[in-house]
Amino acid sequence: MNWKMWSLKKSPWVFHVNTGACNNCDIEIVNLLTPKFDVERFGIKLVGSPRHADALLVTGVGTRQAVIRLREVYRQIPKPCVVFCIGACACGTGIFEGGYHVAGPVDKIIREVDPNAIIAYVPGCPPKPEAMISGVVKALSAI
Amino acid sequence: MNQQELKDKLAEIKDKLTDIQQPLDDRISLLCEAENAYAVNKFLFEEVPLRFVIATGIDSDDCFEVLYHYAYDQLGFLITLKAFIRDRENPAIESIAPFLPGAEWIEREIHDLLGIDFKNHPDLRRLILADDWPEGVYPLRKKMAGEIAKQWPCETSVRPTTESPARRTVKLSKPVLAVGPFHPLQEEMEFFQLSVDGEIVTDIDMRISYNHRGIEGISETLQFDQVPFLVSRVCGICSASHPLAYVQAVEDIAGVTPPERALYVRVIINEFERIHSHMLWVGLAGHFIGYDTVFMWAWKYREPVLDLLEEITGNRNNYGNVKVGGCREDIPDETVPKILQEIDKLEKKTEMLTKAVLDDPIIHARLKGIGVLTKEDAIKYAVTGPTARGSGIAIDVRRDDPYAVYADLDWKVITQPEGDVFAKAVVRLLEVLEAVKIIRQAVKKLPKGPVAVEVKEIPPGEGCGHAEAPRGETFHYVRSDGGNRPVRHKIRAPSFVNVPSFRASCIGEHISDVTITLAAVDPCYSCTERLAIVDRQGSILHGYEELHRLSCEKTARLKKEIGPPEWKLEDF
Repeated sequence: MNWKMWSLKKSPWVFHVNTGACNNCDIEIVNLLTPKFDVERFGIKLVGSPRHADALLVTGVGTRQAVIRLREVYRQIPKPCVVFCIGACACGTGIFEGGYHVAGPVDKIIREVDPNAIIAYVPGCPPKPEAMISGVVKALSAI
Repeated sequence: MNQQELKDKLAEIKDKLTDIQQPLDDRISLLCEAENAYAVNKFLFEEVPLRFVIATGIDSDDCFEVLYHYAYDQLGFLITLKAFIRDRENPAIESIAPFLPGAEWIEREIHDLLGIDFKNHPDLRRLILADDWPEGVYPLRKKMAGEIAKQWPCETSVRPTTESPARRTVKLSKPVLAVGPFHPLQEEMEFFQLSVDGEIVTDIDMRISYNHRGIEGISETLQFDQVPFLVSRVCGICSASHPLAYVQAVEDIAGVTPPERALYVRVIINEFERIHSHMLWVGLAGHFIGYDTVFMWAWKYREPVLDLLEEITGNRNNYGNVKVGGCREDIPDETVPKILQEIDKLEKKTEMLTKAVLDDPIIHARLKGIGVLTKEDAIKYAVTGPTARGSGIAIDVRRDDPYAVYADLDWKVITQPEGDVFAKAVVRLLEVLEAVKIIRQAVKKLPKGPVAVEVKEIPPGEGCGHAEAPRGETFHYVRSDGGNRPVRHKIRAPSFVNVPSFRASCIGEHISDVTITLAAVDPCYSCTERLAIVDRQGSILHGYEELHRLSCEKTARLKKEIGPPEWKLEDF
């Protein structure tokens, strides 16, 4: 493991992008910061710019209008980084499959620009905050 | 006006109509040709006057239909004006936006999705479809459905330019403050551009589409009993209200009455949803003005509500509990004492929080007189929910057109006349206390019996359903042809009418007040996470954190000016 990957595992700062979600995953992500779950005690922090982030939390199906913005945000994140697909929509378009304005699941959109992207999946509609914490722990232990 | 007077009033415009129908006691349909639609709409909105709800565009076999939905809140009537456009080649109709700004967005949406031209519309730019969407392709036209599948993948690498359909007529004076675009909102993820003169906002332009998932199109491919799961995902926070409005529309068509216990369960779930949504808003409003303590406390207090919802329905959000003819999950008897215990605790905490917010001189100084939406503007933009009630308009679907068992319970509609951010905060906090009151009564009165009746077939017909979501009225229109799927399903989320009112409330405000003014209609929280101020050359001067800092600094400055509160230890 090189030092970049090693340092990625400590206190990951995350940037949150919504690419066409119904908001559920997004409130659950904010819930992670509030007293009951409080992930800031592990050094996990939501940041306001992708350039400060180690990980990208993506929620939502990936609508046609959001595709290029998602790629732009991904481009701005320092590599290596981990992309978390939060929720059924981001993992595989979920209930919106086949919609005329849906461009595809998030992993497909990101793999088109970076085939080697590190992508983790947290399924659920919405995943419970505990599931998100567990997903982050599992992904960081795997890399 | 009573029922007869309303009918007499509507009869005054009879010569412009082809028919007047009354499918149900409180639903009236007026039919007319496209040429007369403008005059009839003007009459309905200005003379009767009715509240504009939304318009629906429909591709019928031999013509296009534009349905204008109005509400007469004093009697709980829903009135639909159906205008028929016979020319299928070049469908066109007169725009009603010049006298009814609240219709501006929906006409743009119908133009995008069905290709109907609205003559004399002030600004018929693309609204809901992506920048790279091919021109002349209309996704909700019946014949287009197959073609669109073939057209994907499109050129997603196309960058929006000043020539793209959504932007080509923007005439904002510079410098421009850009807000967005990532912003999780129900259907409407937005990109704001604010023209600023020094610190003052002079104009505002909005672009949506980022979150457009085509739910109305997908809904037409699902069966009637699958649709509630789809519409609960229109918005995660309104995931009880949307399915409720939908099933009420379908129950209208099928003539089904759910068992009484199901109606009580619906009320309880919906009021829990209102509590957790309003608490969420209060917390975020606190965050936006630099009171993170309020943020943490409010979100801590809403957790027990989510736990109760999980215990009843199996999920913290997206309950999927409503179905045509009743509810899926019942409230178990052993949960009832727990609900009563938790809402007692919640009531005390909310009272404490309300008192803390309402008595704080700094919050008064920071929020009073900020982002005022006057009553006249609120009517013109057809806003609903706490946004309307904060401007002194006492509308609430739960009282005006009572559904479920709201009519049997004792509660009141909260209004505040001022129209500023503070008024909207007060409305929401007091509504939480009303919701607690409603739940307590409903739980105590909960009758025994089944929670669902079986519904086999949905006959041909059409139905309108509306419900009071935390953000305002959510409206669903469903048309059935006797098959097992809806042929048209129109959804109007409350923010679709509340968001355009920014044009009335933001202009003339300071930049440091924009975050809280935008947040005041509760579009959602993350809009302000990605703000940037752009100067004349278009380079970014400030990020969101800078803008949030400006907002917090103003609070801190006021705090200093006002001095410490005159509290004594005995007060606690």
